[in-house]
Amino acid sequence: MANMETFYYDNKIVRNFAIATIAFGVIGMLVGILIAFQLVFPVLNFDTSFLTYGRLRPLHTNAVIFAFVGNGIFTGVYYSLQRLLKTRMYSDLLSSLHFWGWQLIILSAAVSLPLGLTSSKEYAELIWPIDLAIAVVWIIFGINMFMTIIKRREQHLYVAIWFYIATWVTVTVLHVFNNLQIPVNFFHATNVFAGVQDALIQWWYGHNAVAFFLTTPYLGLMYYFMPKAANRPVYSYKLSIIHFWALIFIYIWAGPHHLLYTSLPDWAQSLGTVFSIMLIAPSWGGMLNGLLTLRGVWDKVRVDPVLKFFVVAVTAYGMATLEGPLLSVKSLNAITHYTDWTVGHVHVGALGWNGMLTFGMLYWLFPRLFNTPLHSVKLANYHFWIGTLGILFYAIPLYWAGWTQSLMWKQFSPDGFLVYGNFLETVTQILPMYRIRAIGGTIYYVGFLIMVYNLWKTAAAGKLIANQEASSPPREEHAVHTGEYWHKWIERKPIQMLVVSAVLILIGGIVEIIPMLMIDNNIPRIASVKPYTPLELEGRDIYIREGCVGCHSQMVRPFRSETERYGEYSKSGEFIYDRPFLWGSKRTGPDLHRVGGKYSDSWHYNHMWDPESMAAGSIMPRYPWLFENDLSTKYTAAKIKNLQMLNTPYPDNYADKAVSDLEAQAKKVASNLEKDNIKMEGLEKKEIIALIAYLQRLGTDVKVESSEVIKK
Amino acid sequence: MAKYILESAGNINWMALFALITFMTVFLLVVFMVFMDNKAFIKRMENLPLDTEDDMPTSFSKHS
Repeated sequence: MANMETFYYDNKIVRNFAIATIAFGVIGMLVGILIAFQLVFPVLNFDTSFLTYGRLRPLHTNAVIFAFVGNGIFTGVYYSLQRLLKTRMYSDLLSSLHFWGWQLIILSAAVSLPLGLTSSKEYAELIWPIDLAIAVVWIIFGINMFMTIIKRREQHLYVAIWFYIATWVTVTVLHVFNNLQIPVNFFHATNVFAGVQDALIQWWYGHNAVAFFLTTPYLGLMYYFMPKAANRPVYSYKLSIIHFWALIFIYIWAGPHHLLYTSLPDWAQSLGTVFSIMLIAPSWGGMLNGLLTLRGVWDKVRVDPVLKFFVVAVTAYGMATLEGPLLSVKSLNAITHYTDWTVGHVHVGALGWNGMLTFGMLYWLFPRLFNTPLHSVKLANYHFWIGTLGILFYAIPLYWAGWTQSLMWKQFSPDGFLVYGNFLETVTQILPMYRIRAIGGTIYYVGFLIMVYNLWKTAAAGKLIANQEASSPPREEHAVHTGEYWHKWIERKPIQMLVVSAVLILIGGIVEIIPMLMIDNNIPRIASVKPYTPLELEGRDIYIREGCVGCHSQMVRPFRSETERYGEYSKSGEFIYDRPFLWGSKRTGPDLHRVGGKYSDSWHYNHMWDPESMAAGSIMPRYPWLFENDLSTKYTAAKIKNLQMLNTPYPDNYADKAVSDLEAQAKKVASNLEKDNIKMEGLEKKEIIALIAYLQRLGTDVKVESSEVIKK
Repeated sequence: MAKYILESAGNINWMALFALITFMTVFLLVVFMVFMDNKAFIKRMENLPLDTEDDMPTSFSKHS
């Protein structure tokens, strides 16, 4: 062709993101293995604050989601976007800023989370300055991506790019709304939303972090790398279009399925369930589209490890997206929620779908980036089998554990009493499953390390083609043809695609969330529910800092098995001062919503010092530092002021006397402890006092006989 | 069982109806438009990923 233009793809940025993917995979999964073993051998918490399970669990989830998978997304996007659009990325500087900015965010997370600096909202734990940094880097990525699309040489946008665009716009919306906070200081902030509203927004975010961070971008990668590896087009391009629009429309509604049988209004729960079940259709459409792409080349699957990884990845996607909707059916959710079933489920997604797709992609990319054959196909095959085995050894024991424990929670004797009234019995029962799970995770990790070696040797044998030459004619400016349909029009216009995607996802968000924020009726007020005292507030912040929410829910569901075990079921009006909400999503330990007044102060004191002294066989870590650290009251007044700004009814100028009130209450708790012969110098100043005050307050407001529900 | 479903459907919220109707509209629109597309265009689109020069000379099958 006469007017061919020559240009260069930027492979260096792809290589950088690929290395980051691998490096943070090594770290994130190692932390996962450590916390899996901590559940079996609590001694591995080392009685050290920054190594305890509660603080490391968010580090693991954040590292795997945002560092391993996040960098995996960027690796694939930066590689495929340039080639699908036949152009270099818009700006090397922006690419570089994106890369280093993202790694810096990950490093700050790796420091802040073990230090206990957390907002406690699952998968959004990072503190507000890091949230702002994420927003900035995400916008840099967006500008770079959209400007690349605008300067493209290929007229039409392949479906993978639609997935990237939808990812970008939705993550932007979710990140902003779920992190609305008023800073107290550089490390702490007060959540704008409280209780039920906060829960709804958190799980609207949390579910869509799965949908639009772990799924849609990876579907884009699937639609690019699967045809590349199989060297044949996707099975049905038409199906991919339907897959795309149906998936992004439906996904955004499904969040409330994380809150079934909680205090969330019934209508929101029902919407969550219905849309979750509907999700099976587009998800399976996508899975089949991926698998059927291999029609006629299954012989290649036998020899090509890349395709093997892709097949297991897409199959895991299919399994996880069938399982998810099933777990959203209320009757099944009643059994599985708060159990290890959920943990098994997400790991089928993470290890199977995200992990295996990433591995396949990396095995495909490295030889191309470094212009040399893969160091060892044999090792890649070993990795495949070891990894697959690891997933099975990880997931199956957890399904078993979840099911067993839930049935034990619900088991009544013929006389009508709980057979396993002691929660701990249901934990020790499943410890063998936890052991196998930890081994399963380790097996998977060994496979991962084999890949690291293999790719290292591959890179060392070759040389990076930092700038890969390519040529293409310039883009033809199309006039609009008559009879041309709307999505062809959208395909040519990235901004339209952005707007239409945004509108579709906002419909779900707006319809579900706005009524919850506006209509007072949805949260019946309870007259006896009062704001936390300053000491309880500080205790609550310690509860958040230590990540207690990772193992303890604060939501008694309206089942007889739960009201018998814990007490009165939780009501939405009880949480109106909870910023953030702390309902939790997993019960490795018992629910704590009604723990207030259940035990003596000294019981809590001894239990936090050494859980085993109060409950032999407990797997809870010790918290000795709570007995050494003096409680900081430096920001108590500022916290009260923030809460007042958000209409928490403290008396006028209460911030001024908050600390003296706090000290008075602390003295009372300390004197209670002294009555039980617990003596320590400066006892009333220690952090443990605040934590005890908080725990003893939990759920007690509605224990008052005269509690009265007032519908405003 | 059927009675229970029908009873609870009686209380259905406007949001559920709105959600269902908007989804069906979007879905049917997409399906209709997709099937109205011409074959040559779809063919070209689905071949876009394969239409690049990044395939390297070395392949896995050589080493397996």
